[in-house]
Amino acid sequence: MTRSLKVAALLAFTSVTKGNFRIALLTMLILILVALNLLFVPGLLDGLAWGANDKLINTYSGDLLIESDGANHYIANVDQLMTAIEQIDGIDSATARNYLGTEINFEGKYTGAAVFGVNPDTEKNVFTIADYIIEGSYLNTDDTDAILLGVQLAGADRPDLELYSRSLQNVHAGDRVSISYANGIEKEYTVRGIFYTEFIQTDLQAFISEKEFQSVAPLLTNNASTIHIKTIKGANTEDIINQILSTTNDVKVMTWEDYAGLVHSMTASFNIIEVIMDTVNLLVAGITIFIVTYIDVAHRKRQIGIQRAIGITPAAITLSYIIRAIFYAIISLALAMLIYKFGIIPLEAHYPFHFPFGDVYLRMIPFVLIRTALMLFIVSIISALLPVHGVIRTKIINAIWG
Amino acid sequence: MIKVQKLTKIYDMGKVKVKALDGVSFNVVNGDMLAIMGKSGSGKSTLLRQMGLLDLPTTGRIFLGRYEVTRLAESTRAGLRLKYLGYVFQEYALLGELTAHQNVYLPGMMLNNKGKDYKKRATELLKLVSLGKRVHHYPKELSGGEQQRVAIARALINSPKVLLADEPCANLDTISSGMVMETLARLNQDMKVTIIFVSHDPSDKQYARHILTLGDGKIISEDGSPA
Repeated sequence: MTRSLKVAALLAFTSVTKGNFRIALLTMLILILVALNLLFVPGLLDGLAWGANDKLINTYSGDLLIESDGANHYIANVDQLMTAIEQIDGIDSATARNYLGTEINFEGKYTGAAVFGVNPDTEKNVFTIADYIIEGSYLNTDDTDAILLGVQLAGADRPDLELYSRSLQNVHAGDRVSISYANGIEKEYTVRGIFYTEFIQTDLQAFISEKEFQSVAPLLTNNASTIHIKTIKGANTEDIINQILSTTNDVKVMTWEDYAGLVHSMTASFNIIEVIMDTVNLLVAGITIFIVTYIDVAHRKRQIGIQRAIGITPAAITLSYIIRAIFYAIISLALAMLIYKFGIIPLEAHYPFHFPFGDVYLRMIPFVLIRTALMLFIVSIISALLPVHGVIRTKIINAIWG
Repeated sequence: MIKVQKLTKIYDMGKVKVKALDGVSFNVVNGDMLAIMGKSGSGKSTLLRQMGLLDLPTTGRIFLGRYEVTRLAESTRAGLRLKYLGYVFQEYALLGELTAHQNVYLPGMMLNNKGKDYKKRATELLKLVSLGKRVHHYPKELSGGEQQRVAIARALINSPKVLLADEPCANLDTISSGMVMETLARLNQDMKVTIIFVSHDPSDKQYARHILTLGDGKIISEDGSPA
């Protein structure tokens, strides 16, 4: 085996250094394109899923979410529960929300919305909505005459918004809007600020302070419709859920993944798309490499015949083509990685793809890198092996003299 | 000793079957230098390819020493070609991507007997065929005669018992032909290598100890006497 390996290495080395440069270049070019495609598609889909998940967690659900599990739609004794929750190891912060269905009116235009009563201080600990204010400012704890509107409700004179036509269209910070609550109360508020997270579900929300909400719905004091939790990075989610459930009954605790069916199904669809695209990509690559190798091997048929005639074993000859294929795959993969990391990723970061939940950035995932390398090696080896195997099976005299 | 018994080779060309060898039998003793002569199409090269284990005869048997080697598995035949036989092709058949030195030591590397330095031996063999200064040249940088001498050196790298040369001078000018044939004769004389060469050039008879003449796939004379 060592002898075959040494001979194969010599044949492969001389074939690479002294062989047909154009064929080598063509093979590597195809492999680079395949590798880039194998890196780009999952990188983009992962960037998409990551971007959507990030927005969902940081502006909509939090890492964990508590809802009432009983007949009552509200979580009772929220103050005590919040105190208990904040003591649990692995929890960074928590915020409670209450909401009522409303209709918002501005200069004769109406739109339906859920208005949430929130504690602005704890909200800022769990969510990053405050970072997405595009007009005015965020709520204060003592605000009783102010409302914070998502851009998909306000419109803010941005006709390019996805839901602009069903929004209030021209509302800006400082405008007065009137709210009709589901419990019959009507009030007017000054728009304190407008936020634009680019996550549509979040941008359809409106917020008033907890203090104001209690004045509108006094019966819901010390109740909450949801409690949103931010966990410390790396914390054991299952352990935290068990600890929360041990402190109170009649609640259910969900992870952001449980809560966000949309993102969950989107990620699952991305995985299917990725498998299909990878399969097609590899098939095309495999066939192309096979054709290039086949032409190359056909060109070298006589050389292979001579090698066999002088006593070089079929195993050594086959191994030389495998080594060559692996060499081309390694060089191509390395070049593709460099191009992807130092060319495509920075370029895309400069001109990012824009999706409904914000800009999407390409990612370089170690698992995808390893998988790409493996797939490329396997395709290269099989594509090299098949034509060589054909020539090896030919009679020596036919290989040499046709 | 090489023993060839009733060797027949029929090429199946679809509707037509061509009998290239027709019951050929002869013996070659160790240290011999046998010339296989004959006109084009007489079956000389076909006979040499069967003896060089590059092809399988239709019927008949070939013995290398006491062992029959006619229908062995390809891997075993490859091993025998490597260890016991050296083959020189009509059209040089060097590997174009390897230097003269690499071309010569490649089969040695494949065999790699312990204690044998195949690279050193390759250099010595190239000196032996008067190519000591062309060691690192590629085949395309060598003349036809030089390439053929590299091929002879390659055939000798594993110290074969038998060297088979298929019209080694067919593509060479007179001077180069003379050098190649003299090299073969010297190897036979000095190294006691059994040499069997095919030629259609009557002047090559001078280098042979014995002559076998073929016609239509049959032996028509041995050493000038009708078979």
